Amino acid sequence: MGLASLKTLTLAEQDHVATITMVAPHSSMTMIKEFNAVLDHLEDHSSATVIVLQGADGRFNLGLDFKEFHPDKAMDIHGFHKWEKMCVRLERIRALTISLVNGKAIGGGVQLALCTDICLATTTATFQLPEVKMGFLPGMGIYRLAKNIGLRRAKQWVLQGNTISATTAETWGLVTETTDNLAETCQQHLSASSPINPVAIQLARRLLNESYHDSFEDAIGHFLAAQQRAISHDQFLQTVDKHNASS
Amino acid sequence: MCMRTSLPRILAIGTANPPTKVSQADILDRFEVTNPVVRRIFEASHIQTRHLYLPPSQDGIPDESQADLLRKHRKGAMDMGSRAIGACLNQLGVEAKDVDMLCCISSTGFMLPGLTAMFVKHLGFRVNCHRMDLVGMGCNAGLNGLNPVTAWAAANPGKLAMMVCCEVNSALYVYDDSIATGVVNSLFGDGCAAILVRSDIQDDAQFAPQVLHFESHLIPDTWRAMSYHWSEEHGKFSFNLDRDVPYVLGANAQIPVGNLLKPFGLKVRHINHWIIHSGGKKVIDAIKYTVGITAHDVRHTTNTLRDFGNLGSGAFLFSYQHLLQEGTVKRGDYAVMMTMGPGSTIETALLKW
Repeated sequence: MGLASLKTLTLAEQDHVATITMVAPHSSMTMIKEFNAVLDHLEDHSSATVIVLQGADGRFNLGLDFKEFHPDKAMDIHGFHKWEKMCVRLERIRALTISLVNGKAIGGGVQLALCTDICLATTTATFQLPEVKMGFLPGMGIYRLAKNIGLRRAKQWVLQGNTISATTAETWGLVTETTDNLAETCQQHLSASSPINPVAIQLARRLLNESYHDSFEDAIGHFLAAQQRAISHDQFLQTVDKHNASS
Repeated sequence: MCMRTSLPRILAIGTANPPTKVSQADILDRFEVTNPVVRRIFEASHIQTRHLYLPPSQDGIPDESQADLLRKHRKGAMDMGSRAIGACLNQLGVEAKDVDMLCCISSTGFMLPGLTAMFVKHLGFRVNCHRMDLVGMGCNAGLNGLNPVTAWAAANPGKLAMMVCCEVNSALYVYDDSIATGVVNSLFGDGCAAILVRSDIQDDAQFAPQVLHFESHLIPDTWRAMSYHWSEEHGKFSFNLDRDVPYVLGANAQIPVGNLLKPFGLKVRHINHWIIHSGGKKVIDAIKYTVGITAHDVRHTTNTLRDFGNLGSGAFLFSYQHLLQEGTVKRGDYAVMMTMGPGSTIETALLKW
């Protein structure tokens, strides 16, 4: 599908920053399809090195669209698989990813925030994983959550499904920073992250994510392979040139 | 229904290994290897077991002459070759006499006449079977062979071509206390894989992958990085494997993969299955992190390495067989085959089910 017919999302690109806005409140099958189309575009045809993900109308994302389920229809697990594949793509993409949570992040919304490198939230934003109380599971968000906030907190939060404030989310490590001015704080993080080297970001993030399950012996091999990839890239060679020219 | 030709497909596969399976610890104990550096190399290889034609172990480190080793290669190739070929023919329900072209690949022992002539003599292939022996190209040779074999199949619709990758790595070793021979001796295993290829005159829509395209990439500056040389000291061939090999391959792997996929408008994310040569742990890591694929994508490669060691030219076909046995392949899926070896070279092929 092309980008001209997007209904659930909008995409804006400016100065190497691509902003994806989730205009539809819920995570529907249509949204997954459109999200993949946007990621296709960003991977293949875009010069964006930063991807900003945000909601609209005072919320981030409210999770599953129950209208897509019907008691008379067979339950389809493949839709959930498609969602997870989409999350993995966002999590591994060759760009710095920032989520801006302005309002409610529920279910899939929390999962998406967990897939980004930096999560900024307004002080009035809230987070909730209500799935277990509703009889289903909050996706591979379960897997990502425990790494981010610790097992004890994750168990309590996932099993009770209570709503937490952005301040609590920040204390727990789910949110990078709370702010009263999302745009300004986002800009500060962009400045702090510059110059942005997408290849090095992608490799470093992969090693960080893998650090929770790889043994040290495996990880050092992975590090050397990744470092070889990084130092043979133009970005590192330019750094070397610049350094040598100035000294 | 109109008659139409289809692209060559891989219709069947059979594999075989020597009956003797040993763990890394078994080998160290059996040959009383005490050098701590060599022991550590064996233990850190990410290989659990290998199938090998081992020499008798009475006197510690074995001392097989080059003549012994050449004999071992010939006998081992006959033993494994007959079983792998038999299994492959059985899978398609055909006999050796039905095969119209036979290509044999080996780098672990020089023979003249070659393996094809030996197999025709002993295994019932027709005397007018077209033959090709592809010798001395190393671990990558399976794809260097698959390219002309599929081209022959495309030029001869309806006729059966068989490719046999047969490596007796236990017929090519030198033992001293060096790190270099320690690495080689800890890595390679014996194995043989046979496949049948045909392009059918009428596409019967069978569930077998079409071979769409090949792409090669030679790195001429590194032509000594993996090489045989004659060791005056030991009076036999010795294999050299530079420590930079994984990084050289890693730094270049994206080039042939990109060129392979480009004409089809495909990206790495569109590839459902990766069938990669089990060159060694570091090589597999290098490919993973440069091409940007996951541990799951290379599971059959790491499993083949763990269970068999580096099987040389046929290793990728063992991974291919594991993929088929897993039962996850769906119609329309794409796979990339990738083999790496002396040259240094990276060979790739694109498959579609």
